[in-house]
Amino acid sequence: MGRFIVHRLVNMVPLIIGITFLSFLVISMVPGDFLSSLRLNPSISPEVIRQIEAEFGLNQPLLVRYVKWLWAVLHLDLGVSLTYRVAVTSLIASRALNTVILAASSMLFSWALAIPIGIIVAVRQNSIWDRVLSFAAFFGMSVPNFFLAFLLMFVALKTGWFPLGGTYSVYYPSLDLWGKIADRFDHLVLPAIVLGTAGMASLMRLMRSQILEIKNSDFVRTARAKGLAERTVLYKHVLRNALNPFVTLAGYSLADLLGGAALVEAVMNLQGLGLLLLDAVRSLDIYLVMGSVLMGTVLLLLGNLLADLALVAVDPRVDFSALASQ
Amino acid sequence: MSYGFGTLTVPRLPPRADQAAATTAKTRATRRFALNARTACFGSVLLALLGLFAGGGCHVPRPANNHEHEQILYSATTSDPKTFNPVLVTDSASGDAIGNLFEGLVKLNPLTTLPEPDLAKSWEISDGGRVVIFHLRRHVRWFDGKPLTARDVIFTMRVIYDPRVPNSMRPILTIDGKPIAVSAPDDYTVRMTMPRTFAPLLYSVGFEILPEHLLAADYEAGRFNRVWGINTPPAKIVGMGPYRMTRYVPSQLVAFRRNGGYWMRGPKGEKLPRLRGQRLLIVQDQNADYLRFLSGQTDVYSPRPEEVLDLSERAAKLHITVRKIGIDTGSLFFAFNRNPRHYVHHGVTDPKLHWFTDLNFLRALAHLVDKRAIANLCFHGLAVPAVSDVSPANKVFHNPNLKDYDYDPALAAKILDAAGYRLVRPGVRVDPHGNRLEFNLTTNTGVKTRDEMCAIFQQDLANVGIKVNYRPLEFTTLVEKLDSTFDWDCVLIGFTGTVEPNNAANFLRSSGNLHIWDPDQPKPATPWEAEIDRLLDEGTAEMDPAKRAPYYWRIQQILHDQLPIIETVRQQEFQAWKDSLEDFRPTVWGLYRPEWIEFRPD
Repeated sequence: MGRFIVHRLVNMVPLIIGITFLSFLVISMVPGDFLSSLRLNPSISPEVIRQIEAEFGLNQPLLVRYVKWLWAVLHLDLGVSLTYRVAVTSLIASRALNTVILAASSMLFSWALAIPIGIIVAVRQNSIWDRVLSFAAFFGMSVPNFFLAFLLMFVALKTGWFPLGGTYSVYYPSLDLWGKIADRFDHLVLPAIVLGTAGMASLMRLMRSQILEIKNSDFVRTARAKGLAERTVLYKHVLRNALNPFVTLAGYSLADLLGGAALVEAVMNLQGLGLLLLDAVRSLDIYLVMGSVLMGTVLLLLGNLLADLALVAVDPRVDFSALASQ
Repeated sequence: MSYGFGTLTVPRLPPRADQAAATTAKTRATRRFALNARTACFGSVLLALLGLFAGGGCHVPRPANNHEHEQILYSATTSDPKTFNPVLVTDSASGDAIGNLFEGLVKLNPLTTLPEPDLAKSWEISDGGRVVIFHLRRHVRWFDGKPLTARDVIFTMRVIYDPRVPNSMRPILTIDGKPIAVSAPDDYTVRMTMPRTFAPLLYSVGFEILPEHLLAADYEAGRFNRVWGINTPPAKIVGMGPYRMTRYVPSQLVAFRRNGGYWMRGPKGEKLPRLRGQRLLIVQDQNADYLRFLSGQTDVYSPRPEEVLDLSERAAKLHITVRKIGIDTGSLFFAFNRNPRHYVHHGVTDPKLHWFTDLNFLRALAHLVDKRAIANLCFHGLAVPAVSDVSPANKVFHNPNLKDYDYDPALAAKILDAAGYRLVRPGVRVDPHGNRLEFNLTTNTGVKTRDEMCAIFQQDLANVGIKVNYRPLEFTTLVEKLDSTFDWDCVLIGFTGTVEPNNAANFLRSSGNLHIWDPDQPKPATPWEAEIDRLLDEGTAEMDPAKRAPYYWRIQQILHDQLPIIETVRQQEFQAWKDSLEDFRPTVWGLYRPEWIEFRPD
């Protein structure tokens, strides 16, 4: 196992270099640059623009800039954001915690609901429950997140049950610890529902189809034939086999933890990485974008590795030799 | 381990070893597992649902924040500040965040649009306008208690003129390429000597003064551009304005507390500002911002045209005041590219250059801009036709005597016919050389009103046989085309306005980089562009605003006649605020006497 992990970690290096270089290339090839908005500002002279260019080394060739960036990254320095003139790491760190809390709670919400509902609708295939819940699932998948966010904000405005967006209240610093936790939770409910719904729908459909597929396989017939109760067949045999893709999915979703959700963040006024990074991409704040690309890449690759390790742990049919040969 | 029923078909996938290990002896245990699984399954549904309703059900106590009682004004801005360093600010969000912390020598009175004393209590103009002597207010103290002196003013100007510090003040304070010489005869007097008479000076010395005693060391060490970034603790941002910053939470809020040592006094000699503090919420989405105002979480709001009617109808119920405060200070216009660098390739000239420099063609187009339809369809009727490039909100420098080009498609067609642009068949018009009249129109993506305006213009031009290909572009791409590749025909673009007309010199002057229709000209390409250049020089050499105005009126007349740009409409600006606010006096140039604002005591 140790050798497998080392092997995978070593393989990650060229992958990361390749992905970051491609991203660097693409963002540099986009027409315009970070200074575009300043160029159309009547009170900023071209001379000032040239100075900022020189200050951040934007006038150097692409390859030189990339190598310099990579070299700094090796020293754990992600560079300075062009927009904020502040280290990229501190910008990302300032919003990371809230992003993780939000993503984790919405994932918890969607997984905790999707898996049991998926089981119910699969067991009662074609029943009225199946139809109603499947319809709800497709509805959840097709309603855009930001729209659902607006609807819920409107409900919050009319009923006063939930706060109108924000990560926490303005009086947050004056609360005691439990008050702070309650306040956070209060503000988390609506965004978690919004972000959880879309994911929930697809997870539930996946669970349903997994169970339906396995329910008809030969070993299930075997189990039934030897006289096991239907319940036992379902929960002990079908379910455990159906969960494999979810282990992989859980690994991938590690990258989502720090991905952020820009539109919902904007509508619900949440402190998160999504908007910061969306703004960075739109204003071509290259080092901030690269910081997020690097972070996303590393998390995705690590998540993938963890998912494989988990798969070996839960499924005796999979072993390291099979994974290594992939 | 063995398979209990070896004679049966072997499953396709080898089942897990324990699957077949179920024997009668184990059935009960298995059932318990199954039951547990089911319980767990429904349990988790329940848990998730509980979580869902916990927020509403348990009802976390939310202290009603009573803005009136607290005397704290809540407002919203659309984005995060980018820096807390006043010299480096280039965006409005950063200005919103630190505007209350710093002051300049002189400020603009938003009612009269004339300069009035701020940190300088008075000034004298001598030597025919070449020398201005400012007398600083005494007893102005920085937040840390140190007095503000002329040394701080001199330090600030040294920073602004430093080529290593990119800032937007330097071009405004540079006259014919030369800096202003500044000296301090004593601690409370600042003497500025200019290379020549320069009227815009009084509008340009509103820049925020920096504390020398805190920033000089960093500046000498070459670290000025990194000082007072957004990760600086708010308490360390030391200004002398009416408020101090107490807290900044990224993408949530900026909090301010009254500066107890602020110099300004009210009419009865009482301390100002009257509010105890302010909270600036950062709300990126305007619909969310609107909801916050409706729910009473913010006290002031600038409604969009489509919201004005809704708000006015509900004003009594919501206890708010909605008022028209004036006309947009900026300018929104169609510009036509007349840059030879775009049209002449290998000695061949694109016919578009001839059209866009042909006054008849441009005049016909000016008669095709349906300003009333634009105001009604795009701005819900809350816009007025724009005639001049200077807004009527600029009371001194707006030229009220220009006569608008009326919307008249028949007249436009007649002008085109007379100038040799023939209609060869319905919907197709050609120039005198037989080239089909067709050009590209662009603007930046994501602004609904601009899309609609372009669609209206496109339709009106199609009606007289001119084909317009409309394609909006991402802002950065558009800027690159306008600024460096010059690859565009016609653009709908807006500029913000300032009171001082010379601040638009970059746009008006033929050598300016924002002289959008043909930038960076080594020599004026046309006689009228040469005249504008001359008027700009003469207009800055006259100190009296009333005598200055005619120079800028003439420039507006020239642009109106020569039509390198065709003006569209200006939005009417509205402001909504809670009835309980007193002395809240918004204008399009900003709040009048913001230090006086307070909530009426309950």
